[in-house]
Amino acid sequence: MNRFQSLFIIIASLFFSTWLGIVVYSYLQLGHLKSLSTSDGLFPLQYSGQAILGAQVYAANGCMTCHTQQVRQVDLTRADIERQWGKRPSVPLDYLRDRTAFLGNTRLGPDLSNVGLRLANAQWHYQHLYEPNIITPDSIMPSFRYLFRMQKIQGETSAQAVCLKGPHAPPPGYEVVPTEEARNLVAYLLSLKHDYDPSLPNQAAEK
Amino acid sequence: MNDEMTSSSLTFSQILSAPVQFPSLLRSQIDHELVGPVLLFVRTSFLSFLVGSLLLLLCSLKLVLPSFLDGVNFLSYGRLFPVAIDLLLYGWAIPGGLALIFWLTGHLSGATLPYKRVLIAATHLWNSALFFGSLALLIGYSTSVPLLEYPTWTSFLLFVAFLLMGLWVIFILKERRSSLFYVSQWYLLTALAVFPWIYGTANMLLTWEKIQGSAQGPIQAWYTGSLIQLWLIALPLAITYYMIPKISGVKIYSYYLVLVGFISLLFFAGWSGLSALLGGPIPAWMSSVGVVSNILLFLPMMAVVLNIYHMFQEIDKTTLHQSPTLRFVAAGMIFYVLGSALSILHAIPFANAILNFTDYTRGLFFLVLLGSFGMTFLGACYYFIPRLTELHWSSSSSIQYHFWLTIIGIVLLISAMTLGGLIEGVAWNDPAISITNIISYAAPFRWLAVLAWGLLLLGFFFFVRLLLLMRWQMIEKRVPNSL
Repeated sequence: MNRFQSLFIIIASLFFSTWLGIVVYSYLQLGHLKSLSTSDGLFPLQYSGQAILGAQVYAANGCMTCHTQQVRQVDLTRADIERQWGKRPSVPLDYLRDRTAFLGNTRLGPDLSNVGLRLANAQWHYQHLYEPNIITPDSIMPSFRYLFRMQKIQGETSAQAVCLKGPHAPPPGYEVVPTEEARNLVAYLLSLKHDYDPSLPNQAAEK
Repeated sequence: MNDEMTSSSLTFSQILSAPVQFPSLLRSQIDHELVGPVLLFVRTSFLSFLVGSLLLLLCSLKLVLPSFLDGVNFLSYGRLFPVAIDLLLYGWAIPGGLALIFWLTGHLSGATLPYKRVLIAATHLWNSALFFGSLALLIGYSTSVPLLEYPTWTSFLLFVAFLLMGLWVIFILKERRSSLFYVSQWYLLTALAVFPWIYGTANMLLTWEKIQGSAQGPIQAWYTGSLIQLWLIALPLAITYYMIPKISGVKIYSYYLVLVGFISLLFFAGWSGLSALLGGPIPAWMSSVGVVSNILLFLPMMAVVLNIYHMFQEIDKTTLHQSPTLRFVAAGMIFYVLGSALSILHAIPFANAILNFTDYTRGLFFLVLLGSFGMTFLGACYYFIPRLTELHWSSSSSIQYHFWLTIIGIVLLISAMTLGGLIEGVAWNDPAISITNIISYAAPFRWLAVLAWGLLLLGFFFFVRLLLLMRWQMIEKRVPNSL
């Protein structure tokens, strides 16, 4: 037989096994999970339209370069749970609603799988995104000032204005407000919560 | 068909223990045909390396001085870092690897290059996709899939361009004068066949037509693992098995070890990536397979080490001193062994619990990219660029500076990231230690990384100087012709 063809067949068949085992298996099994139907409703929760747009802001600014979204199994390490990044380890079902699963591979900052549970205050997130050092001194997170707008106060201060004091405060008569991108991003961050129990029986399946 | 005749009297392994030597007239004819496209690839790759490592220098600086160039969208860390990594991967490693594939395939099969124009058009397509893709990432059109950040139109153009370029390698192979396949060609063909396979599959399922988020993790890991093993490691092996016999005349020590190494690498490569998701949201069997395959990648590594160790034993010491290529290749192989050892450690569960997600993980990637791939690729450049252009390197001291600055840069970068990563990991695993403290523990090591990127760039400037001097020779050579 032609040696070129036989070499090609060897390469293809050996590598084919990993393709079959990882790609095809994932596609057929994990790719067709159904949401969990319990007496409290469907889990994982559906994202709001604003949160879906927020996930795009999350992607555009490369948040996953420094933040993971996976709480590791307790038999590997208990640290993720002890740091209160989640009440339980992440399961594949958690990513059912995500257009892209931002699993991440580096933690230059904390995990964000359940940031909406830990830090449920929108104002906190606006302050932190505008200038991380206000909340965490010596933070290495970059400032996302470009997602905010400084404007002249017209009559009363807007309800959404970011509360800024000290060196980061805007000049008198001005206020800092989040742009639509920042509002979407924060809506997305606030909706990151995976506290349902994935071991509950699926009522839809029983019917 | 001279080789066909000898194959009946000699055993398979004897024939394949050194690359075929074609007559010099044919060799210069092959070089004459290849010079255009190969230099085009090389130019892209060096330019991307320059821009990519400058951006990584900036990124490493931002980790210790976060207020430096702060608050500008296209200069924020989360946008710059993927641009830099993708430039090093799709701008440096893939075009650089293609230059090697074309040059080595041409010389190993004794065939010239047909219809160059379409190939050159395909490389221009690749380069423009790369350029506009990088701009798109800076403006904020990232998919945020690790190593597949380019927007869908970019990745599609890159995929098409690669298929076209790969087709031209098949054209060369069709016209080959030898029916034998030397070991380097196995690795070259593997890299060439596997890249469009993994890049196409991963983009198809993760960015073009996204599948459910719950299934994306294992496929991301499969892509990364396969790319590292079957491009960034397979190509250095091809170079090593070609360059040592060519330059020193030492034959391959054991053909069967090569065979074991090749097959085991191919078999475990794809699975090994899964260990990146150890303890993560994937089925338990996947984690286990990932750990086992990573540990079993010890097999191909040992096969290569045994072979190359015996070959280096036989090399005349003066040859080793005189050939920059051999020195770069030897360094690349040492980095490969070091990388394999560090990656096995990274896959062992109790160590993974500490090391994963820290600077250690990133350091491991840089070790493969700059150490294993980078050093052997640069070594090969020192060999094939003078032959292609019929010019010579004009300063041996610049070669020395380039070699040593690169070695020191890589060793410093990897030690800083490995040790820093270990300390970060231990700290992350103690919930009593605050994030502010972890950052302060990591800071000295991150400063060392800044220094390391600086040294790497400085070393590269010496290489750029050599290239510019060569270009000057080329201009001078042409002057009498034009008169």
